[in-house]
Amino acid sequence: MDLSSKKTAIIVMITILWLTINFLGWNDYYLVSMYLGVVLMLLYMMLGIAKQGILSKKLFFYCLIPWAVIWIASFTLADYYAALFAGAMPSFTILGFHPSFASIVVGYWIGGMLTLTIMYYNLKDEWLSQKDWDDFVKKIASIDETEKGGAQ
Amino acid sequence: MSATAKTLIMTFSFLMIAVSFFIGWWAKKKVTSSEAYFGSTGMFGPFTVGLSSTAAVASAFALVGVPGLMYSTGNAMAFWMLSSAAFAMAYLILGKKVRAMAEIGKVASLGDLSDLRYNNNRVIKITMSLTLFLGCVAYLAAQIKAGSELFGHLLGWDPLVAGFVIFGVLAVYMSISGEVGGLLTQAFQGLVMVIAGVVIVVSFFNITGGFGEVLKVTSQAGTVTANEITKEFSPDMLNAWGSMPRTVAMTWMLIPILGTVGQPQVITRMYALKDPRDMPKMGLYTALSHTMVGLLTMVVSSGALYLVATGKIDPLVKGDRAIYAMADYAGITAQLFVYAGVLAAAMSSASLFLSICSTVVSRDIPSALGFKFEPKKQVQISRISMLVLGIISIVFSVTQGEMVGILGTFGWGTLMSATFPVFVLGLLWKRANEKGVMCGSITGLALNIASFAGFKWPGVLPWYFNVITISIAVTVAVSLITKEQGLSRKLQAVIDL
Repeated sequence: MDLSSKKTAIIVMITILWLTINFLGWNDYYLVSMYLGVVLMLLYMMLGIAKQGILSKKLFFYCLIPWAVIWIASFTLADYYAALFAGAMPSFTILGFHPSFASIVVGYWIGGMLTLTIMYYNLKDEWLSQKDWDDFVKKIASIDETEKGGAQ
Repeated sequence: MSATAKTLIMTFSFLMIAVSFFIGWWAKKKVTSSEAYFGSTGMFGPFTVGLSSTAAVASAFALVGVPGLMYSTGNAMAFWMLSSAAFAMAYLILGKKVRAMAEIGKVASLGDLSDLRYNNNRVIKITMSLTLFLGCVAYLAAQIKAGSELFGHLLGWDPLVAGFVIFGVLAVYMSISGEVGGLLTQAFQGLVMVIAGVVIVVSFFNITGGFGEVLKVTSQAGTVTANEITKEFSPDMLNAWGSMPRTVAMTWMLIPILGTVGQPQVITRMYALKDPRDMPKMGLYTALSHTMVGLLTMVVSSGALYLVATGKIDPLVKGDRAIYAMADYAGITAQLFVYAGVLAAAMSSASLFLSICSTVVSRDIPSALGFKFEPKKQVQISRISMLVLGIISIVFSVTQGEMVGILGTFGWGTLMSATFPVFVLGLLWKRANEKGVMCGSITGLALNIASFAGFKWPGVLPWYFNVITISIAVTVAVSLITKEQGLSRKLQAVIDL
C-alpha cells in the first residue's frame, strides 16, 4: 500500500480527528471519542511504519488491525456491561472482575499489549530489516562523501 | 508502625539509594563524550534501556497517586496504568526515525534533534525547550515533594533534610555521570519497582483471595465510617468507568497511550539504544515491566478497598495512603519493597527530569541564543547546573507546597504539547515546515502558561487536551498555507526510512 502521495491527507485527517475528539469530549460523547481515538492512533502508526512510503501489509493486517479490533470491542463491551449491571452486583465475573472492567483488562490491557508488542517483535523485519538499516547508513555515508566533494 | 519495622524500611531504602549512588559513580567511566553525558547516545542494549524507560515513565504519581484515585473514584484511572501497549506504539510511530537522526548528526538532546530537523531554528528550539522545562520542573518538584514528605514522615525528619539526603545524593551522581548514570540507575530502580510489584501482588492474593472477593465486598459494603471518616462503596465502582465523568476515562485512555510517544523519557531512550533493530525487543521488555507496575496499582487500590470494606482497616484519610495502608497491613516484606519501590519511582523520574532541565538550561537554550562551548567545557557547565538545579528544586519542592500542587497539573500533557508539533509531526510529515512548527510551538507554550495562570477551558476534558489539539492544528494549518520547505537529502532519508 503506497502512502507517499497520501501523507498530507492522512495528517489532515489526524488533525480533524484531534479537533473532533476534543469537541466530542466537551460534550461528553466518550465512547465515540474512544473509537475515533483508535482510528487516530492507527493513522499515526501507519505513517510511522511506512518504509519509503510503502505500508507493510503484514504489519497492517497482522498487527495494527487486530489491535484496533480488540480495542474497539473492549470499549464496546465495557460500556455494554456497565449499563447492563448498573447499580447492582453483576451476575457473573470474568477472572473475578466486573465484566465491564474485565473487557478492559483482557482487551485494552493484555490484548492490546500482546497484539502490538508480540506482532511488532515477530514482524520486526517488516518494520526495519538489517538491509533497510544498512542501506540507510550507506546512503548517509554517500551523501556525506558527495557533500565533502562539493565543499572541496 | 513498630520501631523495628521503621528501622528495617529505612535500612532497605537507604541501601537502594546507596546502590544507585554506586552505579552512578561507576558509570562515570563510560562518559567519554558530551553525547554520552547528555544523551547516552547509541550506548545501551534493549533490556537496560527498556527498564530505564519504564522506570522513568512510572513516577511516584503512578505508584501513589493512581491507586489513590482508583480507591477514591473507581476504575476510570486504571486506563492510565493499563497502557502497556503504549511503548510498542511509540516505537512503531517514531522509533526508527528518532534513532536514525542520530546517524545524520550529533544528537545528545531533544534540542539537537530540533536543530537537525529545522535548520537550527532558534525560535522552535527555545519555545520547545521552555515548554519542556515547564513540564519537567513540574514532574521533578512533584517527585521530590512525594519522596521527601514520605520519608520525612516515616523517620520523623524535617522533609527538607530527607529531601537533601535522598535527592541530594541523586543530584550528585547525576552531576558526575549525566545521562549514562541516569539511565543505568533508572534501570536498577525499574527492577526494584518490578520486584515490589511481584511482592505486593502475592500479598494481595493472600489477603483478599482475589479480585472476585474485592468485587463482592465492594458491592455490598455500602457506607463505612470510622474516626469521622466515611467511605462510600457502590457496585459501579469497579466497572470500567468508576464514578468520574466517562469523558475523563476517555482522556485517560488517549493521553497516556498517545502521549508516551511524546514523552522526553521515551524519545531520549530511542536514541540511547545501540542497535535500532533491537527496538521491538525493547518494546517487549518495557511492556512486561510496565505490566507489572500496572498490576501493582490495580492490586493496591483493590486491596485497600477490600480492607476498608471488610472493616480490617479504617477508611483512609486520603486516597494517596492506599499503597502504604496495603503494605502496612501485608507485613514487613511488603513494606520493605513497597516503600523502596515508591522511592525508586520518585528517584528514577526525578533523575530523568533533572537531567532534561539541566540540559535545557545549560546547553539547549544557550546554544539557541548563540553561546557555543567546547564539549568538555559544556559538560563542566552542565555538571554545575545539575547540582545547582538539584539544590534549588529540593528547597522549592519542600518549602513551596501550594506552588508544587499547582505545578503538579503540568507534566504529561505539557510535555506532549512540546514534542508533538516538533517531532511527531516533523518526523512523520515532510510538509511540516519551520513556520508551522514555530507557530504550533509558540501557541503551545502560550496556552500552557495561560492554563497555568488559571484560564478555564470548556467541558470536563483536562486542559492539556485542548492545548495539544490546538498546537497540532496550528502547526498543520500554518504548514499547509505557507510555502513548502526543501529538506536535506539526509533528512529525507530519515523520514522515508
